[in-house]
Amino acid sequence: MPGRRASTFACVAGLLLAGPAGADPLPPDTTYRPLPTMPLSRVRAIDEAQKPEVMTRQRTLLESRYDLADRPRDGAMMSGGTKPVQDGVRVKLPQGASWESLGALSPAEIRDQDLLPKGFLPLPHVKQATGGQVFPQFAIDEIKAQEQRDLTRFDVDFDLPDHLVSEFPPPIFLTTQPQLGDASRGELLTISNHYELFNGLLTPVQMEGLRILLTPFPQEEFNQTEDRKTVEQHRGVACLDCHSNFHGNAGFHQSPDIRPQANRFRLDTPSLRGMFNQQIHGSKRSLRSIEDFTEFEQHTAYFNGDHVSAARKGEHIPDRSHKVAFMAQMQNIIDFPPAPQLDPFGRLDPALASEQELAGEAIFLGKGRCADCHDPMTAFMDNQMHDLKLERFYKPGEVVNDMVTLPDGPIKTFTLRGIKDSPPYLHDGRLMTLADTVEFFNLVLGTGLTGDEKEDLLAYLLTL
Amino acid sequence: MIRTAAILLVAGLATGPAAAQMGNPAGMGADTRMAEPGKPAPHQTNNTDRLFAQLAAAGGLAEVDLGEMARDRADAQEVRDFAEMMVRDHGDANARLAELAEAAHIPLPQELDPDHQALRDRLEGTEGAAFDLAYIRAQIVEHQKTAQLLAWEVNAGQDGDIQRLAADLLPVVLGHLERAQALNGELSGAGVRILP
Ligand code: HEC
Ligand code: HEC
Repeated sequence: MPGRRASTFACVAGLLLAGPAGADPLPPDTTYRPLPTMPLSRVRAIDEAQKPEVMTRQRTLLESRYDLADRPRDGAMMSGGTKPVQDGVRVKLPQGASWESLGALSPAEIRDQDLLPKGFLPLPHVKQATGGQVFPQFAIDEIKAQEQRDLTRFDVDFDLPDHLVSEFPPPIFLTTQPQLGDASRGELLTISNHYELFNGLLTPVQMEGLRILLTPFPQEEFNQTEDRKTVEQHRGVACLDCHSNFHGNAGFHQSPDIRPQANRFRLDTPSLRGMFNQQIHGSKRSLRSIEDFTEFEQHTAYFNGDHVSAARKGEHIPDRSHKVAFMAQMQNIIDFPPAPQLDPFGRLDPALASEQELAGEAIFLGKGRCADCHDPMTAFMDNQMHDLKLERFYKPGEVVNDMVTLPDGPIKTFTLRGIKDSPPYLHDGRLMTLADTVEFFNLVLGTGLTGDEKEDLLAYLLTL
Repeated sequence: MIRTAAILLVAGLATGPAAAQMGNPAGMGADTRMAEPGKPAPHQTNNTDRLFAQLAAAGGLAEVDLGEMARDRADAQEVRDFAEMMVRDHGDANARLAELAEAAHIPLPQELDPDHQALRDRLEGTEGAAFDLAYIRAQIVEHQKTAQLLAWEVNAGQDGDIQRLAADLLPVVLGHLERAQALNGELSGAGVRILP
């Protein structure tokens, strides 16, 4: 065989070089966003007619994958104390399978028998073909009340029930003023109230950064052209419309700079807490600084990763040495929520933790291998991307609600500090509870945790 | 082993998503007739559907043509089996596409396009192990492009029947791609992502 390889190589190399040159490229809009072919009024009429069916289809998908019930966990609240943490594994198992029986199979067996729980697969956007930002109703209502700016779309609504997403408005913790605790006063920061709320807490530079982070600019489906999904010509979206109070509200859109439209995937808004410690940004883009990320988001990312459309819809290019730095400095003073049981090494203080929590930490560091990537000393991450190779467990290519199910490839290790505050989980929000994440990683990593060990691990995750 | 893989893939052709496709109406043909508000009547196409059908038909035609060639000329049994699978799976897909295209009045190509003719000419200039590798590597490129085209149609087309066909074919085409990559690995030692 090796001999045969060597002998064939030279001629094949020549052949391939001669190959593709001069061939037709794929059609232009496999990469570039096409301009609308229909007048906006007709697009709107069709979208509005389709909307109920679009939402029903999404709801059916969610219900087939997850138990969406409102089942809070006893005694576990999010950091602001306004919303309970949801309990239990919510991903539905295939008929006849149990988590133990799945754990006993090899990835190839699970793939060939089609046994991977569907809730572990990539979660589609409510409308894959269109994509764009989608906000939960409670966020739309509050922003509209404060700013008379309406983030309602005529084609789609938000899809997850309120009890499965983070509390709103979330508390704000400042690295610069730890003694204050939550500095939000229970309000949602907007361009209408930020000065009143934060004057005296911020430097002028931070205040200016905050102002820009709260200023709406035209984006994706919220802009003034006919390539939009709002009734009125729209003023646009602000950074903190999604990152409510520098945390998140489970608003989502599609990954901007990764794949062309047909293969883009859903992205759940991550928290901006603890950005000061993060060295790579974005689940797949690995932008190297908060400055890079901030500049780029305004530039093209929120135009569906398309600088050509951005130029037409009205991009905002903040000046790198000045405005971007201000925005970055503001983001860099947002702290994680308090974790009073953790010592300066990120380890549980035995005097402050329960037996179960300590047992859970031992699993996190040992048998569960979580700390291999979520290192307690570096804010429970490793500033790396890892390829979990989930497609060992399924056959790629199935189309679900118009989204092609494709492998995720390497994804950033997200921090687990304050993790109980930010459901849903994973980059696309495909997992509803922390118990789901425990089952997910146990299966994907093949760690073979027992029922009790999973319970202990879960108790530990709630202390972070 | 290849046989079972092929049977599984073909079985995959039969199943498909039942739910209707719901694209972005901004990209619909301006003359689209609606069956009911928001729902294009059957066989109402936009430019994506029409271009997709033509490009997919050209690719499918070439798959069968090159597959027949490789079935006879390939050196390794696995490559001949792969070629056989191409003839069968793409023959079937071509027939389904032709039916839908006719219903939507889309003319399809009947002979090899210049790109594929050039590929055929190049393959004809090789033999033995060199032919096997050249054929399989060209198959990788063909299936990469086809997978992109299929996803594009699913995303941007508007004729639900053609979109559902594209959705049906995507896992099959990705399966072929994976198989071609595995064969490339066996023939040349190239790296593969996931071991079978
Ligand atoms: C659609 C709502 C939305 C808006 C508006 C938005 N973001 Fe984000 N943000 C996201 C999502 C979703 C991600 C995850 C991106 C990814 O995984 O590639 C993200 C990621 C980030 C990250 C990196 C987080 C991490 O863990 O890697 C930073 C920093 C950030 N956004 C800052 C901003 C800034 C600054 C703006 C305004 C210029 C902004 N965002 C506007 C949704 C939004
Ligand atoms: C090989 C590295 C690795 C190991 C080991 C690992 N993780 Fe992760 N973890 C990741 C990556 C990468 C992500 C992001 C995945 C994604 O978003 O698709 C992640 C995400 C998470 C999330 C969701 C974070 C969020 O903000 O949504 C939780 C919770 C989590 N991991 C818990 C665990 C637990 C519990 C274990 C041990 C049983 C574990 N992880 C082991 C790499 C790892």
